[in-house]
Amino acid sequence: MDYILNIVLLACINMIAVAGLAIFTGFTGLFSLGHAAFVGIGAYTSGVLTYHWNLPFIWAISAGMAAAGASSLIIGIPTLRAKLRSDYFAIAILGFGEALRVSLENLPWTNGARGLSLDELSGPVWVIGALVICLFLTHNLLISRFGSLFAAVREDPVAAEMAGINLFRTRLLSLVVSAALCGVSGALLAHRLAFIQPVMFTLTQSTQLLASVIAGGMGSISGPMIVAFIFSLLPEALRGLNMWRLPAYGLLLVLIMTYRPQGIMGYQELTDIFRKARKRFK
Amino acid sequence: MFLQTLVTGLSMGGIYSLMAVGYSLIFSILSFSNFAHGAVIMLSAYIGLALATKAHLGFGLVVTGSVVGAGVLSVLNEKFAYAALRRRRAPSLYLMISAMGCSMFLENMVYATIGSRFYPFPAFFGRQIVTVGGSSLSLLDLFAFIVSIGAIVALHLFITRTKMGIAIRAGVDDMTMCSLMGVNTDRLISLVFFLAGAFAGIAGIFLGIRYFVYPTMGWVTNKAYIAAVIGGLGSLPGAMVGGLILGVLETLISTYVSSVLRDVFSFTVLVALLIYLPNGLMGAETEEKV
Amino acid sequence: MNDSLLEVRDVTRSFGGIRAVDALSFDAERGKITGLIGPNGAGKTTVFNLITAVYRPTSGSIRFEGVDLTRKRPDEIVRCGVARTFQNIRLFKRMSCLENVMTPLLARVACGPLRALFCGPSVRNEKRAVQEKAYSIMEALDIADVADRNAFTLPYGQQRKLEVARALACAPKLLLLDEPAAGMNDAETEELAGTIEKVRRNFDVTIILIEHHISLVMSICTYIVVMDRGALLASGTPREVREDERVVEAYLGRRRTGGKRS
Repeated sequence: MDYILNIVLLACINMIAVAGLAIFTGFTGLFSLGHAAFVGIGAYTSGVLTYHWNLPFIWAISAGMAAAGASSLIIGIPTLRAKLRSDYFAIAILGFGEALRVSLENLPWTNGARGLSLDELSGPVWVIGALVICLFLTHNLLISRFGSLFAAVREDPVAAEMAGINLFRTRLLSLVVSAALCGVSGALLAHRLAFIQPVMFTLTQSTQLLASVIAGGMGSISGPMIVAFIFSLLPEALRGLNMWRLPAYGLLLVLIMTYRPQGIMGYQELTDIFRKARKRFK
Repeated sequence: MFLQTLVTGLSMGGIYSLMAVGYSLIFSILSFSNFAHGAVIMLSAYIGLALATKAHLGFGLVVTGSVVGAGVLSVLNEKFAYAALRRRRAPSLYLMISAMGCSMFLENMVYATIGSRFYPFPAFFGRQIVTVGGSSLSLLDLFAFIVSIGAIVALHLFITRTKMGIAIRAGVDDMTMCSLMGVNTDRLISLVFFLAGAFAGIAGIFLGIRYFVYPTMGWVTNKAYIAAVIGGLGSLPGAMVGGLILGVLETLISTYVSSVLRDVFSFTVLVALLIYLPNGLMGAETEEKV
Repeated sequence: MNDSLLEVRDVTRSFGGIRAVDALSFDAERGKITGLIGPNGAGKTTVFNLITAVYRPTSGSIRFEGVDLTRKRPDEIVRCGVARTFQNIRLFKRMSCLENVMTPLLARVACGPLRALFCGPSVRNEKRAVQEKAYSIMEALDIADVADRNAFTLPYGQQRKLEVARALACAPKLLLLDEPAAGMNDAETEELAGTIEKVRRNFDVTIILIEHHISLVMSICTYIVVMDRGALLASGTPREVREDERVVEAYLGRRRTGGKRS
């Protein structure tokens, strides 16, 4: 039972980060190869705070969230202001992630590449509570005017500007919110695994987050949530095939782009499907 | 000492240039960043390694085999992962995601089948040293530098002087127009991918000899990508100059400042360049059609 | 020219060595429809791109109600009261038509991110008000019946109308229409002339119109600016322009002798 619970909790933690990236990539249309860095910042900020100063967990999570959000400004302000091509932006944020990993390995209070052992504070209440709150806030944001502004920016940045949208501020907001969610995810992850190491937050992890968002569907939250959950459970169900998991993700990305670029739930939510189904019944 | 550092930098830069040329070629014709290029380089190193250690071939044959192998791989990569997207004119973001997927697939396939061991290349050059003006330079460095520059100059001549090269340049200008004029664009694109792959093959061998052969060695191509951006994505002379500049700067930094900071430095340069000089040193000013 | 809303003065923009717009000056009079015509490649769309800050002019000034636009961001210019459509239709394809028209309105709603995050339901009501406003704009253009459809499923002519509706949702004082009749047949073009006139009256906007259908331009514009190779060739009332020899030679003449517009 404990074993299953542990897997489900890790899946929930992963879902928070995927929700963050879904806002940024799926709704705002910017491709990121570095979101694992924000998970890492959340993990290390909260980890260092509980490890060295025994801060209450709620404050550690908040600090992780704030640090991830704030650090996204460092990379976001210059690159988004310059309106970089989407692939340039992706590579710039990848560079940011790499630079962060190198720094984490060399900072005095992170214990370097050997990693940091922490207390296991993320119990079920914390994890599920955080997931519910995060999804509620995400939902609020996306049904507000910002959801429409994000989508307009995704569909056509030039036309969006000509509709009076401040491209820079809209994209930056999307980035900060998504980074903050990744930060929460990182803080929970660190205190669930009770151990963190810089290599846990590299390109591979960023790509996995991205795979969930894309397979789940651009412009959708429920799709990526379902896929993130499945992706987190599958490797446990197929233990022996673990080493084939990453090649399979890669292949999946190619196949999705080739045959169903909108993902399983492209540009709609579960609720939309229910609504349509009900209409058909009537 | 300084001359030695400079030559090491130039030789590393030459390898960066070889890889950057691949990025630039593909970018110039399909305008997307082919992140799978690194995986092709990595596989070419494995091909070279197999030819050298299992078939005991000489250096010339190893390079030839690796060049052809990487070229074919690169063409297959295009057919499998990009051709369908390209035909339905998918946004470049989709191509890029597909490329990402490809790179992930290939890299982890190698992990799963061959394993994560680091393999050394047989010592083709030993530790031979040439003495120039009091500084001792490694033969490998000199050779890598000369071959890289030679290959890029040859490519430049091919593209500017031959009929096929001119077809490529026309394709770069306007793909649709080219197909209207009766040029077989599929074949043209395959040719471009083959060329990019061939350069990846040379780069893979040199990287393998210099360091080791291992599944994530393609990550170095992040640097090559930076080099291509420095020179201006899509410009071949730019890719060469960008590669050399990056190689020299990095070697200087790791020799005189700190090797830890080297990667942080490269990425900082990248971000700064993207922001202040998005067309690179030699890239054409791109004008978005509105 | 006593009451000009927009003053373009000596504007030049070069790409590489080529001057796409060359020392161009003209005015758009308040409440009127100004036509901007010229052969293909004359730089007409570039003028729109310069007014809306997609590009920055290499030199010269563009003043709107006396305010210099050349240093402003595109979205600031929209807020000043300039809106446009695009030659090669740029709708938000995977959003519904109504959402397309709502977007400019939503961009102006005063609701910060924190409120959006924490007050779900109250924010929804605000959105409903915007929805009604957008719907009324679509009704005015006779496209309210397609409000729920996805923008990219519309026929061509209606997509152009939807672009106009979206531009009007910016509450502009100056509306820039880039080839609204492109791809339309004669009957549709005639109907469009009526629509443009109606828009001018009902929404109280000044219009600059780029168009290749000369009959449309001649019938609804009060003032016409003719460009050729980036520079001003002639300007005046439709009659003056029609009788101008240079215009006949450079543009109308070429068409009369069978030159085809691509």
